[in-house]
Amino acid sequence: MHFSQDTVLLLYEIVDVIISGLTNGSVYALMAVGLTLIYGVTKAFNFAYGSFFNLGGYCAWILIGMVGLAGGYFSIFLAVVPVLFVVGYLLEKVLVAPLRKYEDWENKVMMMTLGLALFMDNLYVVVFGGRVKSLPPILEGTLEVGQLVFTYLDITIFFLSIGGILLFGWLLNNTRIGMAVKAVAQNPEGARIVGIPKERIFAATFAISTVMVGFGGILLSQKYFISPMSGGAIMVKSWVITAFGGMGSIRGGLYAAFIIGMMEAFVGWGFGMSYGMIALFILLLTTLVVRPQGLMGKS
Amino acid sequence: MSFKRMATVMGVTFGLVAVAPLFVGDIRFIMHILIMCLIWAVVASCWDLIMGFAGIFSFGQVAFFAIGAYSSAIFSVDLGVPAVLAMVLAGLFTALIGVLVGLPCLKLAGPYVALVTFGVHMTLMPLLRGKIGMALGSGGSVGILTIPPIRIFGYSFSSANLVPTFYLALVLAVACTAVILVVIKSHWGTAFLALKDSEDFAMSLGVSAFKYKLMVFALTSFLTGIIGAFYGHYIGMISTRMLELDLFCTLMVMVVVGGIGQFPGTILGAFITVIANELLAPLGTYRAMVMGALVVILVLLLPNGVMGFWLKPAEAEAPAASSA
Amino acid sequence: MLKVIDIDAFYGQFHVLKKVSIHIKTREVVVILGPNGHGKSTLLKSICGLAERVEGRIEHNGRNINGLPAEKIVNRGIIYIAENRELFPQMTVLENLKLGAFSKNARPHEKKNLERVFTLFPRLKERRGQMAATMSGGEARMLAVARGLMSNADLLCIDEPSLGLQPSLRIEIFNIIKEINRQGKTVLLVEQNIPRIADLADRIYVIEEGRISFEGDSSEALNNEALKEIFLGM
Repeated sequence: MHFSQDTVLLLYEIVDVIISGLTNGSVYALMAVGLTLIYGVTKAFNFAYGSFFNLGGYCAWILIGMVGLAGGYFSIFLAVVPVLFVVGYLLEKVLVAPLRKYEDWENKVMMMTLGLALFMDNLYVVVFGGRVKSLPPILEGTLEVGQLVFTYLDITIFFLSIGGILLFGWLLNNTRIGMAVKAVAQNPEGARIVGIPKERIFAATFAISTVMVGFGGILLSQKYFISPMSGGAIMVKSWVITAFGGMGSIRGGLYAAFIIGMMEAFVGWGFGMSYGMIALFILLLTTLVVRPQGLMGKS
Repeated sequence: MSFKRMATVMGVTFGLVAVAPLFVGDIRFIMHILIMCLIWAVVASCWDLIMGFAGIFSFGQVAFFAIGAYSSAIFSVDLGVPAVLAMVLAGLFTALIGVLVGLPCLKLAGPYVALVTFGVHMTLMPLLRGKIGMALGSGGSVGILTIPPIRIFGYSFSSANLVPTFYLALVLAVACTAVILVVIKSHWGTAFLALKDSEDFAMSLGVSAFKYKLMVFALTSFLTGIIGAFYGHYIGMISTRMLELDLFCTLMVMVVVGGIGQFPGTILGAFITVIANELLAPLGTYRAMVMGALVVILVLLLPNGVMGFWLKPAEAEAPAASSA
Repeated sequence: MLKVIDIDAFYGQFHVLKKVSIHIKTREVVVILGPNGHGKSTLLKSICGLAERVEGRIEHNGRNINGLPAEKIVNRGIIYIAENRELFPQMTVLENLKLGAFSKNARPHEKKNLERVFTLFPRLKERRGQMAATMSGGEARMLAVARGLMSNADLLCIDEPSLGLQPSLRIEIFNIIKEINRQGKTVLLVEQNIPRIADLADRIYVIEEGRISFEGDSSEALNNEALKEIFLGM
């Protein structure tokens, strides 16, 4: 078979788009799992999720600025992850938990997290300035397979995200606290009866999802930028993915993340980046009309 | 809260506002602020009606506001329709969009509605700025710049004569909020209370949750659309800036300050928030941060907003939990 | 072992329990009877830390436990077995049982209790890989009781275990409760009516309209005509 030069170039472009879609999709998967976790367990709608994404990026940025990359990115992760966990845990205990006693607590949590997002995003502007920042890539350089060129960065992001998800899955299914989390998600009253400290599980869940989305922030900010006011868009994207996958289903979220990552990459390539969001919503809306519970949600 | 109580609060508030021009009528800046307060009071009240009262997680108020503003502007600028008529048409058009959005939404659980309506908001901006919007007359990223003011019997209500325009805004605001008051205290209101308490039982009595919720969607979009249109004719120009998150969050602050589901708290909430916003302006970049922090603190400490100050907890309307 | 002293319980505005006092001695089987909605479940939930608002003292081995969070009460050896069962639907029988042993005082005895539970409920042993959501009403009820046993509790508060069960299963469950008591557990049981109550109960309380209207041992109950008719299924 003989392809023309143009076709070959086109094919390579498409492969590029696919790789981009996969890489982004893997980080989205991480974020979607985190959000599914929060929603599945605490049934809360966290508007500040995007701001937490940026929190990870900014924390890494500060650390790298202070101590450089001498210890490698691994040391950065080691430092930022506990910070994210603690921040998430405290936020839940101090800001979210007190709202649960109200009948319309879901509304109130939405409002409160919206205020929190507003606060955090503008805090970033004040502290870091309005201009975008970028993180140095974890690995530079490219890998060449025949005519195809992959960046080590994309590969690393992909495997780190998948690794994070697998680690999470293992923790969920093989540890006591993981079982407790699943129990609270499936039947909060039953969890109470059995003696599971529901409040602490809520806080831990929030903390874990903060870690996941913050970690995603560190990864993706190496490929793109950290933009202080991007929290809203990131939050919406995460929620669209989670809703598309089915609000309580981790597997649904995973599929949704990759599908949307790919779709976004192709729409961006074909029509321009600004149409990504519109395409996202069209996809979500059509899905919800046909299947109101998302891909794999319970009806 | 009883009808009497609500009406009294509204009457006193609007009454005080009505006499304001006697004292500050010639201070353009303050008059302008008051007009904006009246406009936002209606939008915030609509949002409270749909969210706090009907329990629908809709985030579409600002989008409907923009749709009202843009459609009225396009009707009058491109089609030469007189402003008053354009406003009414805009209201109806927005109501139609509201129903179209509401139809699929109402079959969805709580957060999905928030997502979809927020999505409408987020997609409206690129839509208006892009080619499709420009084809419709939206003026792209520049917006629409020469919107004719409202003319009644030859008299022009624009920023040239602020005080009469102020009274027009007041009349409009009173009318809209009166409609909301009547709805809350009417059999719609009782239907919603019944649905809140026990959806199954209410439905067995023939109360159709779907029908009532759709009507609330239609009504709030209608009112918001008309007020959006008024905004356009008053300011004279509109752009997609109104769709930025800043306004969205400010509106949310108004609803929170007023107390979710504690109509007519949102009217007070609007005034307080706009004034606070102006007072905080010197903080520059810190302003939004402070607003955000205020929202968080208010939700935690003042669950019923300002209405919480003179309502005993038992008296406050139990706000609608989401109908998920 | 347990003393409930003049408690009032509220559900929102509803005053459900009015100055209720009961006591339970170790290794007793105490039965609470009464019409629906008059506070029987609330009494059990109050003891187990699962009720909304309770005023008064609840003494467990001398210490006031009213106000403690549910998980601490489970740790003290008091477990609630719900009328609704409240199982974990997407988990297997075995996983549900293991979660029953979640609390700190239950963990060291998990293996022993699992064996005990499988001996008492052989059907559960057979179906240990089955999803809880797919179980029939009777099996789910058994699983709920079994899960309660996994907590290593000394006091089991069982809420209407025979509700909705066919007669043969009802007898079976009461027999199991008898056996559990024989093995040393104290049982506080809520029911609507119990055939052959003398067999099972040491003492009986009747709650009507949130108050105790009868207190006595089973022979006294059997001699009470009104009670016999309404509650003792005769």
